[in-house]
Amino acid sequence: MDRIAIVGLDCRFPGAPDAGAYWELLMRSGDGISSVPRQRWDAADFHSPTPAEGRANTTEGGFIDDPDAFDNEFFTVSPREAAAMDPQQRLLLQCAWRAVEDAGIAPKQLAGTSTGVYVGIMGNEWAQLHLTDYDRVSAQVGSGNGYCMTANRVSYHLDLKGPSLAVDTACSSSLVAVHLAGNALLSGECDYAIAAGVNVALTPALSIFYNQAGLSAPDGRCKPFSAQANGIGRGEGVGAVVLRRLEDALADGQQVYAVIRGTAVNQDGRSNGITAPNRWSQQEVIGAAYRRAGIEPDQVAFTEGHGTGTVLGDMMEVSALGHHHAGRTGRPMALGSVKGNFGHTEGAAGIAGLIKVALSLHHGTVPASRFAAKENERLDLRGKGLRLLKAPLRLPRGASVAGLSSFGMGGTNAHAVLESAPPAAARPAARPDERPRGIGSALFTLTAPSPQALHRNLAAQADALSARRAPVGAVGWNSHRVKSGHRHRFAVSAPDTATLVQRLHAAVADPALFAGLTGEAGGAPRTAFLFTGQGSQYPRMTAGLYEESPLYRHFLDEADAALRPHTGRSVRDLVLTGDESVHLTQWAQPALFAVGHALGRTLQELGAEPSLLLGHSVGEYAAACLAGVFPLDAAARLIAARGALMQQLPDGGGMLAVLAGPEELAERLADEPEAGIAVVNGPHATVLSGDSMALMRLDKEFERDRIRTRTLRVSHAFHSHLMEPMLDDFAEVAREVGGGVPRLPLYSTLYGRLLDGEAMDADYWVAHIRRPVLFADAFTALRDAGPSHTVEVGPSPVLSSLTRKLPPPESGTRPVVTAPVRGADSGGQDLADTVAELYRGGLDPRWENAYETRDQAPYRLSPYAFSDEHRYWTAGPARRSGAPAPTVTPDGPARPAGRSTDTGVLVLERPAPADPVTEAALSAIGQVGGYEVAELGPLLRLYEDLGFDSVMVMELKKRLEERLPALAELTVQDLLPRLASVGDLVDFLREYCAPAIDSTQERTA
Amino acid sequence: MSDHPQDRQVHLASVGTALPGEAVGNAELARVLGANEEWIEMFIGTRTRHFARDLKTGAVRWSLADLCAQAGERAIAAAEVDPGDIDFVVLGTATPDTLMPATVNNVVDLLGLDQVPTFQLQSGCAGAVQALSLGRTLIASGEYRTGLVIGGDVCSKHLDVDRDLAKAAPSDLVNFVLFGDGAGAAVLTDEPRGAQVVLRHVLNRFTGLGRKPGQVIEWFGLADRYDDRQALTEDYKAIEEHVPVMAVEILWELLGELDWSQDELDYILPPQLSGRMTRKITEQLDVPSATEISCVADTGNNGNALPFLQIERLLEKMTAGQKALAVAIESSKWIKAGFALERI
Repeated sequence: MDRIAIVGLDCRFPGAPDAGAYWELLMRSGDGISSVPRQRWDAADFHSPTPAEGRANTTEGGFIDDPDAFDNEFFTVSPREAAAMDPQQRLLLQCAWRAVEDAGIAPKQLAGTSTGVYVGIMGNEWAQLHLTDYDRVSAQVGSGNGYCMTANRVSYHLDLKGPSLAVDTACSSSLVAVHLAGNALLSGECDYAIAAGVNVALTPALSIFYNQAGLSAPDGRCKPFSAQANGIGRGEGVGAVVLRRLEDALADGQQVYAVIRGTAVNQDGRSNGITAPNRWSQQEVIGAAYRRAGIEPDQVAFTEGHGTGTVLGDMMEVSALGHHHAGRTGRPMALGSVKGNFGHTEGAAGIAGLIKVALSLHHGTVPASRFAAKENERLDLRGKGLRLLKAPLRLPRGASVAGLSSFGMGGTNAHAVLESAPPAAARPAARPDERPRGIGSALFTLTAPSPQALHRNLAAQADALSARRAPVGAVGWNSHRVKSGHRHRFAVSAPDTATLVQRLHAAVADPALFAGLTGEAGGAPRTAFLFTGQGSQYPRMTAGLYEESPLYRHFLDEADAALRPHTGRSVRDLVLTGDESVHLTQWAQPALFAVGHALGRTLQELGAEPSLLLGHSVGEYAAACLAGVFPLDAAARLIAARGALMQQLPDGGGMLAVLAGPEELAERLADEPEAGIAVVNGPHATVLSGDSMALMRLDKEFERDRIRTRTLRVSHAFHSHLMEPMLDDFAEVAREVGGGVPRLPLYSTLYGRLLDGEAMDADYWVAHIRRPVLFADAFTALRDAGPSHTVEVGPSPVLSSLTRKLPPPESGTRPVVTAPVRGADSGGQDLADTVAELYRGGLDPRWENAYETRDQAPYRLSPYAFSDEHRYWTAGPARRSGAPAPTVTPDGPARPAGRSTDTGVLVLERPAPADPVTEAALSAIGQVGGYEVAELGPLLRLYEDLGFDSVMVMELKKRLEERLPALAELTVQDLLPRLASVGDLVDFLREYCAPAIDSTQERTA
Repeated sequence: MSDHPQDRQVHLASVGTALPGEAVGNAELARVLGANEEWIEMFIGTRTRHFARDLKTGAVRWSLADLCAQAGERAIAAAEVDPGDIDFVVLGTATPDTLMPATVNNVVDLLGLDQVPTFQLQSGCAGAVQALSLGRTLIASGEYRTGLVIGGDVCSKHLDVDRDLAKAAPSDLVNFVLFGDGAGAAVLTDEPRGAQVVLRHVLNRFTGLGRKPGQVIEWFGLADRYDDRQALTEDYKAIEEHVPVMAVEILWELLGELDWSQDELDYILPPQLSGRMTRKITEQLDVPSATEISCVADTGNNGNALPFLQIERLLEKMTAGQKALAVAIESSKWIKAGFALERI
C-alpha cells in the first residue's frame, strides 16, 4: 500500500486568501485576475499592445493580496531580517504553519522530528532586485534570498530535522516537490512531509518574456482548452500540503482530504527544442503515474490539466491524454485547469492543482473549468476520450480517481494520480472507553504569543464556528491539541457550540471579560485543594456531575464501593435519590468523604495534582486519603465508624457560630465549662460547641452585647467534650486502620499548621474529634506557602467564602479561588470552569481524560490568523529604464558553437533577397534567433541549426505577422510543418502571401 | 440527485398561464412611482408587467390563489383531461397568500378538487422547476398518472404605491420596477397527450454552501411587524456577477446529462431576471443555433410564473423532434435549476 495521505493544507491564491475561499472561488468559477498592483511595477510603463522590445502585452495578472504582510513577531524574526527576506519565504512560513494546524497537529508537536520540507519554486525576483545592489547586501539579505532558504526557513522555524530542499523544475516545480516528498515518506526517510509551492511576481520580466515568446495572453488570463485561448497569464500563489503515509494517518484517526496513489516525473530529453512541450514525454509520464498507481486509464474520472491555454501546449497535452483515454469505455474523462481562474502560478502551479484535486475529491464535486464553455473544437476532445468541465461534476458515491499534470518549460514533466480518502468504514473503529473519561462539558482553549494575537484569533474562531454547526466535543478536543503551545492562554467551558460561540463573541467584544478569560502561562500552577467539612452536604449533592461526567461517576462509585461494607447501604444512592437523611451525621460524614474523594481523584486524573492540601474537620479524611495516609478502603472504614459512633451519642449538644475571635470569647467561656471553642474559621469567626443549655446562655449574652451569632443545624456538639463517650470505640478502629505520614504537604486543622513528618495515625484522628478545628491558622499557613489557586473539593464552596474573609497575605496576591461544584445545579460545566481557570494559570490538563473517546475525534478548526500589521516590501516598484543602458547588452539566444567559421559558406548559399516576403521572412528569423540576415542560408534547419524551439516559433509567427499582415489567418499549427529549413519557410510564405500581395498591388495600381 | 430519465417517461401535456389585469407600461409605472421612465427602459429593460393590485388605489384585485387557479384551469382544459383525473397538485411560490393554509390548498379548493395530495414548495425563481421536478418524480414512481404543477407569485405585495421614488437609490428603485405578478401551470402525464412534449430532465440543486444570500424576502409577525427591516433586499452586484456564470454551467450540465450537443438544441429558455439581464445572460449562454424564448420584458419578473410563460411561448413554435432547454437560477441561496423538453 504505497499510498500517501494529504492530511492538512493551506493556500493563498489571487482572489482567495485561504483554502476555504479557494474552494469557493473554484465553485463559483470566479476570476482572480486584476490589474498589476502599483506596488509591483508600473504596468502602463511596460505595456505595449503591439509587439515591442521590453514590453508586455498585458497589464493584468493574478496577484495575491497583501504579499507584503508578515507576522514577524509570531516567528520572532526581527523587522530588519523580515525586510530582507524574500516575500516567498515569508508567505511559505505562514502557509506551512497553517497547513500543519489543518492536519490537526500543533506545529510544536513536530519540533525535533524528521519531518521533511519540499518547496517548489521558480521565481527568484527578490534576489534579482536585492542582490544586485551590492552596497546593500547585508547578512540578512544573504539569508533572505535563495531558493534553498524557502524550505530551510520552514525547517528552521518549525524545528523540523528531515530533508529540506527547494525544487526548481520551472512550472512543474511544486508537483515535483510533492513527488519527492511522497518518495521520502515511502522510503521511511521521514514520517511527515510538508510539500509546498510559492510564486510571487515582483518584476515584469516573465510577462515580457512570455510576450516576446508570443505566449502572453493580452487579457492576462489563461483560457485552458478554450477556443478563446490566446496564451498565458501570470499568477501568484502559495500553497502547502502536509503528507503522511496513509496507513499512519488512518491508524492515528487523522482526517484525510485525499490519497496520492502514485506520482511520476520524467524529462523530454533532447526534444524539439528545450522549451517545446513534448507530447510523447507527457504521454509517458502519465502512463508511468498510472502504472505506479496501479490503475487503468478508464478508472480516472477527471484530470486537472496543466492547461496553460497556449495553442500548442493545449494541443500537446490533450494528445498525450488522448493516447491513454481515446478508447475508454463509459463517459469521456473530464478535464479542466485552475489556470483559468487566476493564471499560471508557475512555481506554485503544481500545488494549486494538487489542492484543487484534493478538495474536489474531499467535497465529491469537481468545479467547472473557466472558459471551458467555449471549447476549442480543434482539440477534438471527444475523439480523444476527453470532455471539458463546463459545469461542476458531482462525483459518484464511493472512491473516485483523479489525475493531475504539471509540465515544466525545460521539459521536466510530472503527473500524479489521486484517489478519494478511504471511507470511515475503512478506519479502525473507535474503541469503547476502556477506562472512564469525560467531565460532562467541553472546554475551548486557544493560545497565542501576545494578547493582541489571542484576541485576533478568538475573533477568527468565533466567526468560523458560527458559520456552521460543529460538534462541541471535537471542537474543544482539537482546540487543546492544535491550538496549544503559546504563552498567552484563553479558556472557557463550552457546554455546547452555540454557547461557545456566544462566549467567544462576548470575550472579543468586552476587554474586561477577555482579560478575565485569559492568562499568561509561566509554569504549572501551585494548586491547593481545600476539602469541605460537615454542614456543606445536601440531598442530591453533585448529582448533576454524576450524571454528566463518566470520570466523576467512576470515582464516586469507587468510594461508594469502598464504604458499602462499613455503611451497610449505598451512600451514593442515598445522596443521589435526595434522601434527607444525608444530614444525619451517620451519613453526612461518609457522604462528604465519598464526594471529596471522587472530586479529588477526578481533578487528579485531569492533571490537576494538588501541591498543598487542607481539609476542614471531616474534610481532612479525603485530603489524607489523597495524600496517601491510608488506602481508600481503610479511610472508608474509619470515616464510616466515625459517623456511626457519633450518631450513637445522646442528643443534647449543639453548635453556635459567633462573629468574634477566640480571644474575645475566652473570658466568657471560662464560666461555661459545658461549652467550648470547636472551630476557629477566622479572627472574627468562631464556632462554639457543647451543651445546648450552656450555648443558649452564651447566646443571650452575645445578643445583649450585640455580637452576631447563628445556631448551626447539627445533631451533635462536634469537637466538644460531649464527643468523649465515643472516643475509645473510635480509637480501637483507628488503631486497626492505622495511618502514615502524608506524602503531600498537608495543612492540619488539628494543629493549625503544616504537618511536619507527623503521622496521621489513630492518636491524630482521636484528637481530631475532640479538639477544635484551627482552620484559620491552617489556611493562613497554607496561603503563606504561596499557592496560585485554591480548589474547593466539596459539594458547595463554603471554604472559598471563608478564605475570602481572611486578611490578605502580607506579601504576594491572594490565590485564585475555584470551585468545581458551586451548588445544587452544578454539573460538568462548573468542573470545566475550574479546569479552564487552572489552564489559564498554566496547568496542562490531561485532556484525554476530560473527553469521552467519542469526542476525541478530529475536527478542522480554522487555522492561525496571522497579523497583517507589519509590511515589508522593496524600496520601490520596478520601473522601466529611460534608455537602453550602454553597459547592459543582453545577448540573444546562444549561438551554435563554431558557427562563425561557417559564415562564408552560409553567405554563399543565401538566396537573393529579391522579394519583400523573403526579406520579411529572413529579417523575422534573424530577429527571433539573433542572427544577421546575411547569415541565413536556405539550407539551415531552424531547430537543429538555428536552435529554434516552440517558444521561438510562437514569436517567429508574431514577427512574421507584423511584417506580413496576410499571415493573420495562418495558425501556428499551419506553420509547424513548414519549418524544416529557412528555404522551406521562405518558399511557403511566398506562396501563401502571393495573392495578397497581388491584390495590394492591384489596389495601389 | 439527478433524475433517471430512462426509468419512465414523463410528459408535459399542456400549459396554462394567468396574468392579472392590463399590462402596465413604463410610462404609467414611472408616473405612479415618481420614477424615471428612461431609467427603467435603459437599466431594467422591462417594457410591461401585470399587477394583482390596483396601481392607483393599491387595492388587491387578485390573490395568488386566484391566479394559480386560473392558470391551472386553463392547463387542465388544454390537456383535455378530466379534472377528476388530477392525482396531485404541486405549487411553487415565494409569495403565498397566507402562511396557512398553504395557498396550494386554496387553489385546489377553487378548482373544485378534493381528496388529492397537495404540495407547496417555498422557493423563488427555482420554485416552478422544483415543482416540475417533484411532479416528474411522482409520476415516474408509478404511483400517480396525472398531476398539476403550478408556479406563481404576487410580488406586488411589496409595491407600495404611496411611496415617492423620485429620490430613491437605484438599488431601492429596482425592487419596484423589476417585478410583476402572474401564475402558470402545466399538466404532467405518464403518457403522451396534448402538447406531446416529453419532460426529459429536471435539475434542481442547492449550490449556496457558505454563500451569502443574493436575495432576502422577510416576513413579519406580530412580534416584529414594526421592525425597521426592508421587506425585500437584493445583492444586485452578486447577482450580476454570479448568475451568468451559473447559467452557463447549468446549460452545460443539462447538455452533458442528456448527452445532447449544443447544435441539437432548437430553443433556449434563459433565466428571466429582467429584460436587460436576460439579454446579457443569453449572450453568455452563446447558443446561436437555438432560438431564445423569453418573456420577462413583457411580463415583468413574476417569479415562479416565468418558466410556464416561457413554455407557453415555446409550444407555439416547437415542432416534432425539436429540443429545448430551460435555465433558472434562484439567487436567494444560489439554487441551480433547469429542465429539458422534447416534442415527439
